[in-house]
Amino acid sequence: MNAIELRAVTKAYDGRTAVADITLSIERGERVALAGPSGCGKTTLLRLVAGLEVPDSGTIRINGTLVAEHGRNLVEPEQRHIGMVFQDLALWPHMTVHGHLDFVLRYDKRSQPADRPSRIREILEMVRLSDRGRAKPGELSGGEQQRVALARALIAKPTIVLMDEPLSSLDPELSLHLRGEILRLHAELSFALVYVTHSREEAADLGSRVIHML
Amino acid sequence: MQRRLTLLLAVLALAVVGLLPLVAMVVTSVFVSGKLTLAIYTKLLSNPLQYWIALGHSLTLATLSAVCATPLGVALGLLFGKTDLPFRRTLTVLLGIPLLLPPYVLAICWFNLLASGGLLAQGAPVQLAGLLSHALYGLPGCWWVMVSALAPAVMILTLVSLHAIDPRLEEAGRLVARWPVVLYRITLPLVLPGILFGGLLVFLLTLGEVGVPVFLRYPVYAVETLTQFSAFYDFGAATAAAMPLLLVTLLMLTLERRFLRAKVYNLRPSTPGRRMLRVPLGRWRIPAFLSVSLLGAVMVVLPIAALVVASLSPFAYWEAWRQAASSLGRSLVLAATGATLLMLLGFFCGYLIRTRTMRLWRALDTLTLLLFTLPGTVIGMGLIALWNRPGTAFVYASAAMVILAYLAQYIALTSRITVATLFNVPQSLEEAAQIAGAPWLARIRHIVVPVGLPGLVGGWLIGFIFCMRDLGASMLVYPPGQETLSVRILTLMANGTPSLISALCVMLVAVALSALGLLGLFFRTAAPRR
Amino acid sequence: MGLLLLVVIVAIAGMVWTASRRNGNVVVVYVSEDQVFSEPILKDFERDSGMRVLAVYDTEETKSAGVVNRLIAEKANPQADVYWANEPIRAEVLRQQGVSSVYRSPSAEGIPDQFREPHGYWTGFSARARMLIVANGSVDKPGSVLAYTDPRFRGKTVIANPLFGTTTAHMAALFTVWGDERANAFLDAMRRNDVHLASSNGDSADQVAAGNFEFALVDSDDVYNRRKQGRPVEGIYPDQEGGGLGCFIVPNAVLLVKDSPHPQAGKKLIDYLLSPATEKKLANSDAAQIPLHPGVETPVDIRRLETLKVMSVDYAQVAAKMQAIQPLLKDWAGR
Repeated sequence: MNAIELRAVTKAYDGRTAVADITLSIERGERVALAGPSGCGKTTLLRLVAGLEVPDSGTIRINGTLVAEHGRNLVEPEQRHIGMVFQDLALWPHMTVHGHLDFVLRYDKRSQPADRPSRIREILEMVRLSDRGRAKPGELSGGEQQRVALARALIAKPTIVLMDEPLSSLDPELSLHLRGEILRLHAELSFALVYVTHSREEAADLGSRVIHML
Repeated sequence: MQRRLTLLLAVLALAVVGLLPLVAMVVTSVFVSGKLTLAIYTKLLSNPLQYWIALGHSLTLATLSAVCATPLGVALGLLFGKTDLPFRRTLTVLLGIPLLLPPYVLAICWFNLLASGGLLAQGAPVQLAGLLSHALYGLPGCWWVMVSALAPAVMILTLVSLHAIDPRLEEAGRLVARWPVVLYRITLPLVLPGILFGGLLVFLLTLGEVGVPVFLRYPVYAVETLTQFSAFYDFGAATAAAMPLLLVTLLMLTLERRFLRAKVYNLRPSTPGRRMLRVPLGRWRIPAFLSVSLLGAVMVVLPIAALVVASLSPFAYWEAWRQAASSLGRSLVLAATGATLLMLLGFFCGYLIRTRTMRLWRALDTLTLLLFTLPGTVIGMGLIALWNRPGTAFVYASAAMVILAYLAQYIALTSRITVATLFNVPQSLEEAAQIAGAPWLARIRHIVVPVGLPGLVGGWLIGFIFCMRDLGASMLVYPPGQETLSVRILTLMANGTPSLISALCVMLVAVALSALGLLGLFFRTAAPRR
Repeated sequence: MGLLLLVVIVAIAGMVWTASRRNGNVVVVYVSEDQVFSEPILKDFERDSGMRVLAVYDTEETKSAGVVNRLIAEKANPQADVYWANEPIRAEVLRQQGVSSVYRSPSAEGIPDQFREPHGYWTGFSARARMLIVANGSVDKPGSVLAYTDPRFRGKTVIANPLFGTTTAHMAALFTVWGDERANAFLDAMRRNDVHLASSNGDSADQVAAGNFEFALVDSDDVYNRRKQGRPVEGIYPDQEGGGLGCFIVPNAVLLVKDSPHPQAGKKLIDYLLSPATEKKLANSDAAQIPLHPGVETPVDIRRLETLKVMSVDYAQVAAKMQAIQPLLKDWAGR
């Protein structure tokens, strides 16, 4: 059973085709980098897998379950157990780091309330933010914000993690460091990773398979 | 599912609160003696020329008021919200005061000032006094009163919209251009939905205004037709007469949508925790302060001073308290309840309109604005027709009718303010919560509302102000013995002593300001820090 | 947010409670008489009867959403028990609309028939007289409403807008007494004589008191109150000479609402309002109203009805005429 399966998926906006008849399979635990120029549909593809967009035609399966087909979502995004790091991080300005993670766990049906504190501690340690739990996004540096977004995407132990150019705004040194972190976390948690980037270097580094979109 | 169900409930609530009374009135206008007929409408079309002239007057007054109040309100909003003008908080409160009073009361204040025998006339040279007195009546006086009454609404809407701007967008502009250019080319386009709604608000409120034109003797459509209705007690005719006003509203709405369509911006998430950028006025600081202070003195201090001076008699305030203490308390509770329910229903309607979750979003937006335009009399009559039945006596006999009147008349305010607020709440914040597994209501409660809180609080405040000063439909439906303060002022105006009426008006302003001040304090301490 | 929701819950509970207040020993009255005059009377009734009075007061005539409209709108399911009108025209309109029911109060004994609806649908009490207010020291004093057409007073007279209130009723009364042709001619002559329009009777009275005009046709309480304020004016009851038209009298009127929720309580209130005692209070208040019961004690400044030549009118005809001449008056006022 593949983690993600897209069959003949097409998506258009206002007559402009963003994704045209894509068929793609990603295995469990695989790391796939989606590379390509701006406007080639990488983000759209990610949003289709997440359920934030609905395919005009074609089918999408997640872990063997049909989640979307021909103009409708059969499984809503909140029920797909996917982690996602948005391009602009989409951190909630009014919540602390701890609050971000607690929010995710609260709606993870598989987690127990008693386990939340330890899981939050664990993930904060993983992303090296143990001492920043009470800070709000406005008080964090760019790299720290990236790590919060990573932690939020991973805390519910999803089987699939989608990342939309998460390191594009960072300096090379930090970007390199965080790439290492992502690989380390992947090794620990074994999720299927779909990583969108327009950097060949990043794609080569993070993807065991690179798909070039045009 | 949760989202669809909740939004559907909101639509149903709006249908009950607003659409049904309107339908009840339209039915009254097309069924005469049990027969379906358009006689009332054909009579309307063949009305004497004076009605169409009056309609022309209405459009002139509404356009002039909107054209002047909107840029004035925007300029004040920018000065108070984006610059380092000294005492800007105090000036914001000062210039917001006219909004707390029904425009009719402001007209009386100006009458006390400028009419022959008025306060200013007594001190001014005879010719000037005569000129001022003459200018008070007709179009100039009505225009001035409506601009001073409604420019504060545009000011508040601008302030609310400005709060939601991501400062990075302006910072990016500041790297290549000076502040005036940034304000004009970046800031203003971002707050355009709020500004446009402000202009529309001024236009529609002026179009339906009755008290001011009657008092200052300017024959406008709403007065002509409602006077007719009053003389003949013909409710169907009142509804039919409101139709041209609704058609004008539809036209304005179409124009607004056309204009905004090309200017909808989907924003990326804002940088969390950044403060709003302020424009340093530099050497313009003092002149700007003096100009705004002068404006405040003319627009606010003078008429309110006339009110206060008129109220200065030994026992006026004691008598006012004795007469109106219960009305005052009642007004506060009803206005707070009304504003809360307006914000609740308005939020979901606004969310539906902004996200276009259902196909009927356009119809919903149109309905709210049509209700806003309808004269309060027509809404009141519709509410009576709908709710005054033995089966619903428990509602009709209660103050719930006043709340229903508020909801029907003002839902457009909170709905549109929500739309403007949500324009600046990036969708990705909600999407991130959705991906995290949160159901829709949890996303609204924990993400959308906290992030959009300044705008939503602003909406609540606007709702509170309008409910507090309402006179239209609520005057027709309040339960006997339970009038609000605004209604009490109006009923006491006939032969009440000027000092008593003035004292009551001062109380209305003071109480509304205090309530708003307390609320501001509460939110400053209790609201989540960004 | 929690606090605000608490407010809503408490308020909703309050509303349900307020609805329940209509039960018990209450009477619901809609009032067109000015609240400053009527409310003290109703409070006295509360004290004397032990009943609770729930009132809806009217706004100025210039506002279109008056209590009459509310009464008509509520006809199918009446909420009010009694309507207290400040002039009989409104009471007549309500009779025509089927809103009132017959009640002949024992307190009405002694009130002249002219001020009572023949079948008992409404009863008049405590009246205003239409008078001419004249500035003190005027050389030429008017004695009739026809003075508005007298060339001696050209451009020196003022009248309240005839579209509202007692002025409308007065115009309608003239139409019923003189006939359309003569009344129209009177209006035209007034216009040719450059009469000025004021927004209300009070405004007219103030303008005369300020010396801007020679005289105005106003209500008796307008004259009384200006004199009480020490303003240099006097009042003249017009057309009192032999053969004269007589003075137009505008009484309050009270009626029992048809199918009202508390009819017995309504009748008690009507009896109270129509009593000589109430008329005495209204005569001695700033309302300065003329009692219709003979022999009621009044202040010196207020003439007794028995001493006045009263214009003989049928208020039902006046009500009908008032509606008919609205377009004409609108046209006249607009010129």
